[in-house]
Amino acid sequence: MTVFKLPDLGEGLSEAEIVRWHIQPGDHIAVDAPMLSVETAKAVVEVPSPVSGTVVALHAQPGDRIEIGAPLVEFRPDVEANEAGTHAAGAAAADHTGNADAGTVVGQMPADAAEAAAAAALEAANAVIATAPRVRAVPAARALARSLGVSLTSVQGSGRGGLITLDDVMALGLPDRRASSTLHPGPAARPVRPPANEPADVEVLRSLRRAMAQSMAISRDSVMDCSVFDDADLAHWKPGNNYTTRVLRAIAAGARAEPGLNAWYDAESQSRTLFEHVHVGIAVDTADGLLVPVIRHVEQLDDAALRSELDRLKRAARERTVRSEELRHFTFMLSNFGMMAGRYATPVVVPPAVAILGTGRAREDVIAVDGKVAIHPRMPLSLTFDHRVVTGGEAVRFLGALIADLERAE
Amino acid sequence: MAKMTMVEAINMAHAWEMAHDQNVVVLGEDVGINGGVFRATVGLQQRFGSERVQDTPLAEGLIAGTAIGLAAQGIKPVAEIQFMGFIYPALDQIASHMARLRNRTRGRLTCPLVLRMPHGGGIHAPEHHSESLEALLCHHPGLRVVCPSSPARAYGLLLAAIRDPDPVIFLEPVRLYRFMRQEVADDGQALPIDSCFVLREGSDLSIVTWGAMTVETLKAAEQLAAEGISCEVIDVASLSPIDFDTILDSVVKTGRLLIVHEAARTCAVGAEIAATVSEHALYDLLAPIRRVTGYDTIMPLYRLEYDYIPSLARIVDGIRATLAE
Amino acid sequence: MSEPTVAARFEIPYRACLSPEGRLLGENSPAIADPSLLQRMYRMMVRARIFDAKAVNLQRTGKLGTYPSCLGQEATHVGVGAAMRAEDVLFTVYREIGTKFWRGVDMYRVLLYWGGDERGTLYEHAAQDFPFCVPIGSQMPQAAGAAMAMKIRREPRCVLAFIGDGGTSQGAFYEAINFAGARALPLVCVIVNNRWAISVPVERQTAAQTLAQKAVAAGIAAVQVDGNDALIVHQVTAEALERARRGEGPSVIEALTYRLADHTTSDDATRYRSAEEVQAAWAVEPLVRLRSFLEQRGLWDAQAEQALKRECAEEVEAAVRQYLSTPRQSTDAMFDYLLAELPPALQSQRDEARRYAALRG
Repeated sequence: MTVFKLPDLGEGLSEAEIVRWHIQPGDHIAVDAPMLSVETAKAVVEVPSPVSGTVVALHAQPGDRIEIGAPLVEFRPDVEANEAGTHAAGAAAADHTGNADAGTVVGQMPADAAEAAAAAALEAANAVIATAPRVRAVPAARALARSLGVSLTSVQGSGRGGLITLDDVMALGLPDRRASSTLHPGPAARPVRPPANEPADVEVLRSLRRAMAQSMAISRDSVMDCSVFDDADLAHWKPGNNYTTRVLRAIAAGARAEPGLNAWYDAESQSRTLFEHVHVGIAVDTADGLLVPVIRHVEQLDDAALRSELDRLKRAARERTVRSEELRHFTFMLSNFGMMAGRYATPVVVPPAVAILGTGRAREDVIAVDGKVAIHPRMPLSLTFDHRVVTGGEAVRFLGALIADLERAE
Repeated sequence: MAKMTMVEAINMAHAWEMAHDQNVVVLGEDVGINGGVFRATVGLQQRFGSERVQDTPLAEGLIAGTAIGLAAQGIKPVAEIQFMGFIYPALDQIASHMARLRNRTRGRLTCPLVLRMPHGGGIHAPEHHSESLEALLCHHPGLRVVCPSSPARAYGLLLAAIRDPDPVIFLEPVRLYRFMRQEVADDGQALPIDSCFVLREGSDLSIVTWGAMTVETLKAAEQLAAEGISCEVIDVASLSPIDFDTILDSVVKTGRLLIVHEAARTCAVGAEIAATVSEHALYDLLAPIRRVTGYDTIMPLYRLEYDYIPSLARIVDGIRATLAE
Repeated sequence: MSEPTVAARFEIPYRACLSPEGRLLGENSPAIADPSLLQRMYRMMVRARIFDAKAVNLQRTGKLGTYPSCLGQEATHVGVGAAMRAEDVLFTVYREIGTKFWRGVDMYRVLLYWGGDERGTLYEHAAQDFPFCVPIGSQMPQAAGAAMAMKIRREPRCVLAFIGDGGTSQGAFYEAINFAGARALPLVCVIVNNRWAISVPVERQTAAQTLAQKAVAAGIAAVQVDGNDALIVHQVTAEALERARRGEGPSVIEALTYRLADHTTSDDATRYRSAEEVQAAWAVEPLVRLRSFLEQRGLWDAQAEQALKRECAEEVEAAVRQYLSTPRQSTDAMFDYLLAELPPALQSQRDEARRYAALRG
């Protein structure tokens, strides 16, 4: 059965009046034969039959006004051969009458509905118009307060008429103007920003936390982070193995197997840089905040060299004598949080680097080995990678190679 | 009071003013015996004669220029451009003369006239029949540009336009011509021509729009009201000059502004509104001003026109995004 | 007082080849001696008429947008098409289906265009022809420009530009023919005088006795022809094109015909013109006279007519099927042809359009 609906016969018409039918139920009619006359606001037009078939029912009488899109005639089409054409025609018809368009409004809304809805809403709204005082603030001050999680209602505005300025927000002991200007970095994540000034003064202490706030915010706003967890079985370790140096070397092994994690990503140019060298930034917790000194060329250093460089940098960090250039350009990051507590974490990737490894607190686990229960020392590993540029496959290949290296007996 | 469509209300406003002011004449292509291609002037020639309702030759520059000459002589022309997409040949007359005559002659000659034209898309019309070009006109100082969004406002604003001492471009959203019926009193009462209309009051967000986009905007506001979001909807109505007081009061009240229009985004009237609100109410804003507009593309032929015209979904998302800031 | 001196004198010739009954009127049209050309012209006129009727029906059943019927004007459209060479360039208004068909534009494309899809302007066989021109008269200066390019390159090609009776009221019409005359451009302008610019009859459009005489002011050749007579349209257009090709400058041809249909499917001509007038116009419509002429010469019969109608109906059906089964373009199409390359500033808008198109499904 085919139901023919009244199409828009002009441009933006909403209804038409039936003038005369040329058919009645039971009649057979050929496609394009005259079917009825209708009068629209613009014209009297002849509507031909859309199909060849038998008329089953007429849904309106002469003199009736019917809406565009309302059913007009029902047919039993002649042939199934017609079907493909009818289907396509149906789709096109829907397209043309706008019935398929959610946005189409021609002739579909009851009279006055929009106005009535508006009037009703207007009445309702009158009762509930907000009376709470709103603070007025310079947009940058608003942005800074939001990024720092400070409520502006608690800030006393010093500007004209109580306007809250950027200085008012910063007077809360928070970053200075220069820092706040980095709160909205471009799409390209900025390189890790070392403390700007000479170390060892009071300003540096504040800068450490500021740098952390910035780099974490940048990471949150740009990185698509994904973490994967596993354990390295340390049963084959020889006495005297140092956790951190073994992990550093394992990172180099991972990078050899899968360079995609020892890389930088520039979102603006949508380019990544793969490095041959492995410069690992090591998160060092200090009383004043997080510092990330960089051990360079991990892939070239032996155990002893690694250990001595590690010790030197940690000491420099804690004494805040680390030089700014020693804080730049890491290609991979390590957070050895397990020194204190915690097994797994979701460490935060700091752009432009694309991955970070967190090592949890090693301990003895009861595990199954060759079908038997055994107790082995294991190191929990948490690898976070930037899924914008690193695939899951690359990440787990990297992690697999890293674990294989960590588990080697030596 | 009779319930009528916008096109009927426009016709009624013509008839009222022609009956009460002998100086009013109507001119344009097919406005006479045919009553205009949208039937906005139907019956006027029969009632007022073919001298007062003139079919012009097919020339838009002629229509606009003739209207200027008539107006400077004290006749009040209400001229029709058949579709806004055909305005370009008339732009020379509009920009070079209509908008400037008062200024050029230090007030000695003026042209109080109305240039009506269908505006916007959404009725599956052919190429060049669906344009939203209000920015072209609003950029010319010396003109008023008005765009009604309901039958009653069309009636009142058209009367105001005819009675205004300066040239008024009167944009009629084709999608609304027969979209709804509303009771309109034929009382000759004009509406203020420099005023926004607050269609819906609200406290969380101000939405500024005009013409046919008021329909989807009101729907969006209604839909979100169910979630407790309170939108204020303002019909700008007079696009040049704009009643910024009403808009600024609303923005100061709600702290958020969404602009919705059918015209392409770049250098459109929405950009002017955003700039002015920034100048005067930046410190009251809780969120960046957003726009939901036609794309910066050619108005597509009709199969894609509803991909171009801002949809309910886009407006709802625009509201949510502005509130999320 | 002496008699005033005459500065210039003009006359507009009127030419016709076939009477409404299909009898020769004395013109020696080259088509008379070319049975194959005669048959091709007739076939193309029938093809245009059958397509046209179907297009109107598609609009009436909600499957096509607004459509401007060419009913009654087939002789002018086809006669012009037959006179052009493939390498010439055509500028139409929006009704000249017969010319488009002659130049190889297929029915499917025409349906797509009026079906609201820009791909309807992709002409495979008339690659330099302009698409339909909706803003009245605006095609004329462009046609002059194209003709100027041919002149600059010294190519033996011409531009053929159509305009309607209403279009001759636009400034652009005069601007173009004036310039074409001043530079002797290879431009032939055919004014299709179908008497009606929507509801305005030609005598309300202008006080000029003929539209052809507007060319006199531009200093170029002007002639009026019976636009329902394909033979004379073909002959006079071919002569004008040959003059233009030889560098002898532009011409204006006014073809007198009649719009038997409404202006478009959105129009109702009964509001402004009498049934008697339309009835009278049917008596001189173009298909019957050419068919009579062909039959008198033994070049056509009822059997050929039947076969042609069947063939055309089949072709139309196939085009309609292809049209109705063509999915609409993706929203990318709005952006893809704005500039040679989409500027980065617009990419986010394209993405937004894609996102909402996906939501719409």
